[in-house]
Amino acid sequence: MLDVQHIGKRYGQHSALEGISFQARSGEVFGLLGANGAGKTTLLRILSTLLRPTSGSASVAGFDVAARPQEVRARIGLVSGGMGLHDRLTGAETLRYFAALHGMNKFRTEARIEVLDAQLDLGELLRRRAGSFSTGMKQKLVLARALIHDPPVLLLDEASSGLDVLARRTLLDLVTSLRNRERLIVYSTHVMSEVEELCDRLAVISGGQVLSVASPAELVAQSGERNLERAFFKLLSAQKALPEAIHG
Amino acid sequence: MASIWTVAQQELTATIRDRRTLTSTILIPLLIIPLFTVGLPLLLGTLFGGQAQTRQSVGVIGTLPATLRTQLEADSKTEKGVRLTVIRDPIKAVQSGEVDAALKVTSPLPSVAGQSGTLQLFYKLGNLKAQSGAAGKVRSAVEAYNTALVGRKLSELKLSSALLTPVKLSTVDASNVAEAGSGALAFVIPLFLLQFILAGATAAATDSTAGERERGTFEALLATPTPRSTLLLGKLAATTITALAAAAFSVLGLSLSAPIALLVTPAGQGAAQKATQQAFGGSLALGSGALGTLLLTATSAALLISALLLTLSLLARSVREAQTLIAPLTLLIVLPATLLQFADFLKTGAAIYGMPIVGSMLVILDTVKGQSSGLHLLLSVAGNVLGAGLLVIVATRMFGRESVAFKQ
Repeated sequence: MLDVQHIGKRYGQHSALEGISFQARSGEVFGLLGANGAGKTTLLRILSTLLRPTSGSASVAGFDVAARPQEVRARIGLVSGGMGLHDRLTGAETLRYFAALHGMNKFRTEARIEVLDAQLDLGELLRRRAGSFSTGMKQKLVLARALIHDPPVLLLDEASSGLDVLARRTLLDLVTSLRNRERLIVYSTHVMSEVEELCDRLAVISGGQVLSVASPAELVAQSGERNLERAFFKLLSAQKALPEAIHG
Repeated sequence: MASIWTVAQQELTATIRDRRTLTSTILIPLLIIPLFTVGLPLLLGTLFGGQAQTRQSVGVIGTLPATLRTQLEADSKTEKGVRLTVIRDPIKAVQSGEVDAALKVTSPLPSVAGQSGTLQLFYKLGNLKAQSGAAGKVRSAVEAYNTALVGRKLSELKLSSALLTPVKLSTVDASNVAEAGSGALAFVIPLFLLQFILAGATAAATDSTAGERERGTFEALLATPTPRSTLLLGKLAATTITALAAAAFSVLGLSLSAPIALLVTPAGQGAAQKATQQAFGGSLALGSGALGTLLLTATSAALLISALLLTLSLLARSVREAQTLIAPLTLLIVLPATLLQFADFLKTGAAIYGMPIVGSMLVILDTVKGQSSGLHLLLSVAGNVLGAGLLVIVATRMFGRESVAFKQ
């Protein structure tokens, strides 16, 4: 479903990503764990075809992100951190607009809106303009917008940031339910508790490189630490110590 | 796959729900144009008319013949006379505002024809109020006094006063209906139309590009399978339609000017008011052919301006930044439009009509003057469409860049 091979991204002399490789399959929540600036967003932007890799390759649902971007876009739902919405459109108008951009007919669109309404309890959001939404309401609509075409792959970038407890719970429950329906969810976060609760496997990213790919339990066991947070810090420390050891 | 119209429809919905855009697209063109073409002439007419009904103060040094004094002070059916006051220094009196004008008798004035005298008139030459008021009344009175003296002398000699004017020259307006209606200040009409197109398109262009980026909606939009060229053309269509709406309301404002002028202009106005109204095009008359030409020209200009605005807005990270980039564009319209006031002195070849924007201005000016030509219209439309096409190519390239989706 998702195959990332030696992906790199450079901006002039600066290397944002270097030799990233991993695979993820349907029915899996794959976490991208890393501090701010680690390269998670750049990687998700490459997977969503918004950025082109400068080296390596990646395929989503069998389509290469660089060679077949339109095919990839038809199969992904993207939730980026900013929760940007068209303020002057109602929730329903937003969903209908994005359904049309995905080439869906009216019948299928209305059916999907009903399903998403039931899943996310959109209710009033469908009739109100997005400009008046709270953060939690915005996040619900952003999720519904990403799921309107029922994509097999969902890319979530820091999707829970700024959410209150209830909205965050809705998000986590939705991710779990999508996994149960054999969707692949790539979940980028720096919140350990979310990784522990949701992710089947994860890639720890730091400085644009993958430090480890494993399940949360494997990661803790490999590190010899007692929890994921300590295991994460140990990995980061090891990465920092390596160049120092090489260069003396 | 979503069509261009789907994108345009969404952009138009967002635009229609923005009050600022509605104001710049509908209200301002509908209000400003009739206000300028009818209201301003009426106001100026009232001011000029007001001068006729005001008794101005005129200072005098020396002795005026009694008949001339009477003529200066007398009221007629249409205007009041002046009030004569004795002063010492005419320049000081005028400059201090003590009097509106001053008269100085430098040599004794005759009371019969055959002798001559000199009378100096002092007033601020650049002051329209003094020119149309006190100075105008003094000139008329002196002219009437001279005519009376000569007339009396001719009568004593048993000669007809017609001897004074062997050739009578009368003036007939040879303008066509449209020229006569558009007035000497018709050159402001292209400025109005294109300026409203720019104002109408600006909000839509900036909101649909820099606004998307600022709100963070570009990422989700560009992650859909709709080709970027479709998205861009949809945004261009929406911007052009908004600009055209502004242009249509401007044309509507223009065509409403004449009936509004008839409604609000009281019967029996003074000549000054009528002349002013004519100068400002208060009785502008546009037939259906002229309206069609205006709309076609406006459409092509709207397309070009929209493409230019979208291209510039794609460079900006926020609506405010886009507005800063767009602000100098006003000069692109104002400068050529200002030069149009000298259009009567210019010999314009057909080629100039092919210049984007400038050609449109000339066609609009020709149309309101009833001189439009099919070839000129074709050239101006072709120039604008070609320019828009080139800009769309540039914008498409810019829209394909990675950085276009992100705020930073």
